[in-house]
Amino acid sequence: MKAGLEVHQQLATGKLFCACPADLTEEVRGSVVRRLRATGGENRAVDPAAAFQAARDLLFRYEIVPSSCLVELDEEPPHALSEAALDVALTMTLLLHARPLDEIVVMRKIVVDGSNTAGFQRTALVGVDGWLEVGGKRHAIPTICLEEDAARKIGESPEGIVYRLDRLGIPLVEIATGPDITAPAEAREVAEEIGMLLRATGRVRRGVGTIREDVNVSIEGGTRVEIKGVQELRLLPRFVEAEDERQHMLLRARDRLTERGARLPPETTVDVAPMLPKGATGLLPDAARKGHAVRALRLPGFGGLLRAPEGGSERLGRELADHARAAGLRGLIHSDELPGYGLDPDAVERLRRELGLAPDDAFVLVTAPDARVAEKALALVRDRALQALEGVPGETRDPLPDGRTRYSRPLPGRDRMYPETDVPPIRIAPGRLAALAKHLPERPEAARARLATEYALGPEVVRQIQRGGAMETFETLVHRGFPAPLVARLLTQDVPIAETEAPAPPAAEIPDDGLAALLNLVADGTIAKEGMLPVLVELRKGARSPLEAVEKAGLATGPSDDLATLAARVVDANAPLIAERGDAAFSPLMGDLMKELRGRRDGQEVASALRAALARHKATAGTSP
Amino acid sequence: MSGPAVPDPWETLRKLPQGRRIELTSADGRTWRGTTVPSHELSGPRMVQIKLENGYNVGVRVEPTDTLAVLPEEPSNGNGADGGTAASAAPEATGLATGPWVALLSTGGTIASRVDYRTGGVRPVNDKAGILAFYPDLERGGPVRVVPVFDRLSEDISPEDWLVLAEHVVKAFAEGARGVVVAHGTDTLAFTAAALSFLIEDLPGPVVVVGAQRSPDRPSSDGFTNLTTAVRIAREAEIGEVVVVMHDGLSDDRFAVHRGTRVRKMHSSRRDAFESRNVVPLGFVDRDQLVWKGAVRPPSKGPVRFDGRLGREGGLLWFYPGLTPTQADAFVTPLRGVVLAGTGLGHVSSVHLPWIRSAIQRGVVVVMTTQCLAGAVDPYVYATGRELLRAGVVYAEDLLPETAYVKLLWALGRSSDPEEIAHLLLTDRAGELSERRVTSGEP
Repeated sequence: MKAGLEVHQQLATGKLFCACPADLTEEVRGSVVRRLRATGGENRAVDPAAAFQAARDLLFRYEIVPSSCLVELDEEPPHALSEAALDVALTMTLLLHARPLDEIVVMRKIVVDGSNTAGFQRTALVGVDGWLEVGGKRHAIPTICLEEDAARKIGESPEGIVYRLDRLGIPLVEIATGPDITAPAEAREVAEEIGMLLRATGRVRRGVGTIREDVNVSIEGGTRVEIKGVQELRLLPRFVEAEDERQHMLLRARDRLTERGARLPPETTVDVAPMLPKGATGLLPDAARKGHAVRALRLPGFGGLLRAPEGGSERLGRELADHARAAGLRGLIHSDELPGYGLDPDAVERLRRELGLAPDDAFVLVTAPDARVAEKALALVRDRALQALEGVPGETRDPLPDGRTRYSRPLPGRDRMYPETDVPPIRIAPGRLAALAKHLPERPEAARARLATEYALGPEVVRQIQRGGAMETFETLVHRGFPAPLVARLLTQDVPIAETEAPAPPAAEIPDDGLAALLNLVADGTIAKEGMLPVLVELRKGARSPLEAVEKAGLATGPSDDLATLAARVVDANAPLIAERGDAAFSPLMGDLMKELRGRRDGQEVASALRAALARHKATAGTSP
Repeated sequence: MSGPAVPDPWETLRKLPQGRRIELTSADGRTWRGTTVPSHELSGPRMVQIKLENGYNVGVRVEPTDTLAVLPEEPSNGNGADGGTAASAAPEATGLATGPWVALLSTGGTIASRVDYRTGGVRPVNDKAGILAFYPDLERGGPVRVVPVFDRLSEDISPEDWLVLAEHVVKAFAEGARGVVVAHGTDTLAFTAAALSFLIEDLPGPVVVVGAQRSPDRPSSDGFTNLTTAVRIAREAEIGEVVVVMHDGLSDDRFAVHRGTRVRKMHSSRRDAFESRNVVPLGFVDRDQLVWKGAVRPPSKGPVRFDGRLGREGGLLWFYPGLTPTQADAFVTPLRGVVLAGTGLGHVSSVHLPWIRSAIQRGVVVVMTTQCLAGAVDPYVYATGRELLRAGVVYAEDLLPETAYVKLLWALGRSSDPEEIAHLLLTDRAGELSERRVTSGEP
C-alpha cells in the first residue's frame, strides 16, 4: 500500500484576493442564485469531473455575509495576491527545505460543483522539491501551493445546493507529500508533523475545519483513489486502512469475475413489480402496491460478490448502492442480501427464474416513485459494475464519520488549469526570502526540547501540548506566573475532556484570558485543581463569568466550609464505622468528604484534615470497647 | 584562449515557438521540465513561463549559466490545434425545420472562447459553428444564423462601425430575420444601442444588443444566460425597437430589457451594471417569464430603412471645477456641435459663458445635459441656467449625455442648420425623451 497526503491549512491573514476578513458566521444578509456551465475549451477532452457535475443540472444559491464583498460574488475582479499569505507559504517552503519559484503564476482550476462562484479556484504553486523527516524516514514534499478555500456548503434543496460565501477566499496553504506513506498510523504521524509546522508559523486559523487532509491511497494492482476532506486527524489511519481493504476486496472480486468469464451484455432493466408477491408486506411489495416503479438489473457472474467477503466489511454491493445514490435514491437492494425486504425465499426463487438467472448470477433492485429515476440509477449501477470487471476505478471519495468512505465523483482530469490573467505574476525577490529565512519560526522538535528543559515537563506531556496546538497558550500562561505542571494539566487533560463533555461551536472557545482567570481561581483557593474541569465545562456551556461557572458547577463555598469542622462532623457521624474498621475507615470517609468537597478543596488538604480529625476522635474516644 | 561561445539560453527560448517541451537546468542542478507558454505582459525580465506536468505554470528566471534542452514533441493528447472538433461537426442549419430565425451579429468582445489547457491560452471562437456549439441552448426555439461583422473590443468601436452594424441589421431583416441580436462588448454597448436606434427606421422586429461582464471561458460567465435570453426576446417579442438585455440583480434568473436610448453602464464590473435611467426598464425576464412594464414601440409594417447620414464633428465635454475656458474652447473649436455634461440642473461655471456665446454665434450647437445621469435639466431655476439659455444653449430635457452625443452626430448628419438640429434633438424619435418622470412608489 502506498499513500500520500495533501494537507490544507487555512491562514489567519485575511482573504487571499481581497481585503475581507476571514470570519465564519451565521449572519446571512441575502443570497443570489447562479448557474455554472462546463465551458467550451473542453470541446474534446471534456473534463470528466466537470461534465459529471454539469450533468447534474443544478442551480446554486450563495448566501451573502457581512465579511464577503463583490470579489466573492464574482462581481469584481480579484485584487492582488495577499502578501501576508504569500509570506506564510514561503515560510513553509523554507521550513520544508523546498525551492521557492522565481515568479508565482496564479492559475484558474476549473471547479463546477458550485463551491466557487467563478466556476474555478485560484491556486498558485509556490515551492517544489521539499522533504520532511518523520520518525526517521524522509518524506518527499513535491509541492507547496497557495490557494483560496471554497464556499461553505450549507445544504441541498430540490432547487439546488446552498453555499455560504464566508469561507470562500480564505487562503489555504496546501502541502502535498509523495506516496511515501506505507502504514495507516504513519499517515497520522506525517499529518501531525506537518500540522505542527504550520502552527509554528503562528499565522494559521484554529478550530474545527481549519485544517483538512486529502489522502491518496493505492495498492499494488489497484488505482489511486483520493479521499477528500478528512477533518479528524485521529480517523486518518482508519480511512487508509479501510481503503486498503476496499481495494483488495475489489481486486479479488475482479479476479473471481474474470474466472467466471463474467460480462455485462448491453441490456435494459426489467420491471419486476408484477412479479412480486401480492399479499406480502415489506419494502418491495409495499412499493409495488403504491404504484412505484420496481426495476431490476441483471449482473451475470456477480453472485456472492456483492456482500462482504469473510471477515471483511468493505463490499461491492455498497459501492453499487453509492452510485445509485447519485441518481437521488437512498440505496438499492442486491441479491446477496435476499431474502428480505418483503421477499421470502420462494419469492426470491421466482424472481430469479423470471429473470433467467443462473446460480452464479446476481441482480440489483431499486424502487422509486418515478420510473425514470429508477432507470437512471440502474444505468449508473451498471456503469459501476462494468468498472468492477476491470478492478479498482480511480475516483474521489468522501470520508464519513464512521471511518468508511463513500464514492463522491470521478477523479478530475488533468488538463483543467489555465492562467488567472486578472492577477499578474509575482516575482519573489531573493531579499524577501532572506528576510523570511532570518525569522523562521521554531521547529516543532526544537520547541519540544526547549519546553521539556525549561519547564521540567516529561516528553509525552510536551508532545500532547504541541499536538493540541497549545504551545503558545502554555507559554503565555506560565509567563503570567502560573505553575507549569498546573497549566500542563489544564491544557492536556481538563481542556480536552471539557471539549468532549460540552462540545460548543468555535465561537465559544475559551480564550487565554479565560483560562488565566480559571487558574487564578485555583491560585486564590476558590477552587482546587480538581475543580478546573467542572468549571471549564460550565464556561463552555455558557456561564458568563468564571464565578458564575463556579456556582453552576456547585462548587461555590457554603457557610459550612470549615474543613476541620466538616471533617470532625463526618468522623462523629461515622463513629460506629470507625469503631468497626479502625484505620481502614479512612478510605470510605475520604470518599464521603471528597464527594462534598471535590473541586473546592485540594485532595491532600482534605486527607490531612481527616487524619487530624480521626486522630482527635481516637484520642477522645479512648480505647475501643 | 576561449572555447566556442555558449549561446545564452534566454535568447534561444525567446525565439522558440510556444508550446515546445523543454528542460531547463540551473547551475546547481535544479531541472524544470514542461511546456513553454506565453509570458504575461507584466512578467519580469528573463522570465520564461513553463507549464509543468501537474498543470501549474511557473515563472523561471533564465540565467546565462542555465542549460536548455528542447525535447521531442509529444503525440497530441487531444487538446491540440487539430481543427476537427465536436463544434465543427455541427451543421449551420441545425435541422430545426421551421421556426422563425434570429440573426446573431457578432462584433467581437469575445462571446465564445476555447481554452487550450496545453498552453493555457484562451482563444476567441469566431466561427459560426463554434459559437453555436458553445451555446447549445441557443437554438431551442428556432434557428440562429451567426453573422460575424467585425472583431473589436468595444472601446475600439467607432461611429464608422455603427454604420456598418446598422447596415447588417437592416440586411438581416430584409432577408427575413424575425429579430436580430448584436453581441457587443459592454464598455460602449450603450453608445451602439443608441446609434442603432437613431440610424434605423421602421424596425419590423427587435434588435437586441447584449454583452457579458464575465468572459466566456469562465463557467460563471453571465454571457450564457444573457445571450440565450437575448435570442429569446429577438424571437418572441412583439416590438420594433432597439433594446439592451443584461442581468437585473446579481442572480442568474432575472434580466432587464432596457430601451436602447435610455440605458447606461453604471458599474465597472457587476453583472447588473446596465441601468435604465429616468425610466423603468421596458420589461423583465424573471425565472423565464417575460413581463412588459413600459410602453413598447410596436413592430413596423416596414420596410426597414437605414439612413447612413452621421456627422462626425460632434463632441462630449464633461464639466468640472477647474476646467478653463481656454481648454474648453480649444476642444470645441473644430466641432459643429458639443454636448455638455453640466452639473445639477444643467450648469457650468459662468466663466464659460463667453466662449459658449461665441461658439453659438458661429453656428455651433451647444447642448446641455446633466452629469447626474438622472433627472432632467432645467434652465429656469437658477441664474446660471437662464444665462446659458439666453446664450442659446439647447437644454436637452432628460437625455443622457452619451445618448445626446450620439443623437447630436445623427442630427449633424441630417442638417447644417443649428435651429433645425436643435429641433431634431428635442423631438423624441426613439423613446429617448420623455415628458414625465415618476417614482415607482417603492421606498
